[in-house]
Amino acid sequence: MKKTNSLETKNSDTVCDEQVFSSIFKANSKTVFNYIYYKFGNEEKSYDAVQEAFVKLWENCAKVSPEKAKSYVYTVANNLYLNVIKAEKVRLKYADKTLKTTSETPEFLMEESEFKTKLDKALNDLPENQRITFLLNRIDGKKYKEIAEMEGVSVKAIEKRMHLALKSLREKIDGI
Amino acid sequence: MQENYLAKWLNNELTEAELVEFENSEEYASYQRIVEASNALKSPDFNADEALEAIKNKRSLTDTKIIQLNPFKRFLRVAAAVAILLTGTYFYVSSLDEQISTQYAENKEIVLPDNSEIVLNADSKVTYSKKNWDTNRNITLEGEAFFKVAKGKRFTVATNAGEVAVLGTQFNVENRKGFFEVTCFEGLVSVSFNGKETKLPAGNSLVAINGEIVSEEKENTTAPSWINAESSFKSIPLKYVLDEFQRQHNIIVETKNIDTNLLYTGSFSNTDADLALQSISTPSRIKFKLEGNKVLFYAENSK
Repeated sequence: MKKTNSLETKNSDTVCDEQVFSSIFKANSKTVFNYIYYKFGNEEKSYDAVQEAFVKLWENCAKVSPEKAKSYVYTVANNLYLNVIKAEKVRLKYADKTLKTTSETPEFLMEESEFKTKLDKALNDLPENQRITFLLNRIDGKKYKEIAEMEGVSVKAIEKRMHLALKSLREKIDGI
Repeated sequence: MQENYLAKWLNNELTEAELVEFENSEEYASYQRIVEASNALKSPDFNADEALEAIKNKRSLTDTKIIQLNPFKRFLRVAAAVAILLTGTYFYVSSLDEQISTQYAENKEIVLPDNSEIVLNADSKVTYSKKNWDTNRNITLEGEAFFKVAKGKRFTVATNAGEVAVLGTQFNVENRKGFFEVTCFEGLVSVSFNGKETKLPAGNSLVAINGEIVSEEKENTTAPSWINAESSFKSIPLKYVLDEFQRQHNIIVETKNIDTNLLYTGSFSNTDADLALQSISTPSRIKFKLEGNKVLFYAENSK
């Protein structure tokens, strides 16, 4: 009895299981999408990359264990556009904060939007790996460790990228 | 300040002293603002449920692709079945026997695959197999036919009365109801009749009436008379003569008060009915009355 039970759990534990696959997808698809978007600034291509990566995962579901599934989809998505597409401008929206800002003076609002434009430009001017690291941390709330796993580098390297990203953003914005 | 202090600061990993030092630096306000602004950043909308649905569709699409192949497979299956059926039918049909028959007052000439010839007299039928003709020269005959057999393997004519086997010759076989006659015109013909084998050299004929051989006679013609549109008889009961007349002229024969077992010797034309009637009635001393498609033979003294 015990044996069959353990066998059953093992069977349902593969990526081939519809539920397992769905949960892996729900947990990671958005980040894969963002990751590719931060890299190339192309929404359509990012969406395709998600599709491609997860279809590949499904096709190889027997060979990829659920623990490896995450890094598998990043690798596939990453390799998909390797040097193939030209990076575009990353266009990011700002969460609506109007409620808080309506009471502000027009000067302040103008200054604010000017700042945002500067930040946008500075983000786009960042090296690709610094931008990915910075945005994954800021927007997606990914820990340095997680980003390090995704990028396949050490946590220290991610800290370095983060530090440099912030530094160059300030330099750009403050016009140094 | 430690290495990568900005990253550490974001991660709340600075020591208290470091934090104070950093907060007092002139860049701090800028960093603070960048971080605050970037916290409000949003990536493009991404609907995970939709995307998952799309992947499932893609998967079912690849599934249906396999299904889409099926109709073609089914088509192949049907095509294969049809092909097998067609070839089967072809072989069956080609192995079917060839059948040639004649109506009343009709003759037909048949050339066999080995250039042997058959001339079919009226109301007769031959059946043979085209397949393997060279090794298997078998013919089934009902009625009367003249054979010119090319040299080769044994040539057999089977009738319900007897079998005629030859190698290469010319002969006539007549097999009518109760009447069986084989005439050899060239070469040697072997006739097996009622289990008895008779060799007929050229110029001989064998006549059997009602299962009994009545004569083995000499013929001195080179082909049966009917080939030349004439039916000739030598001591043959009148009823067979009248049957032959009916076959050759497609005129229904009726008799009244006459003995049809009388032997008749003579011939009649297969083309001129009037002349033929004269040829039959005069030597037999009987009368006839022709009415359209019917002829009545009756005894001279009965009226």
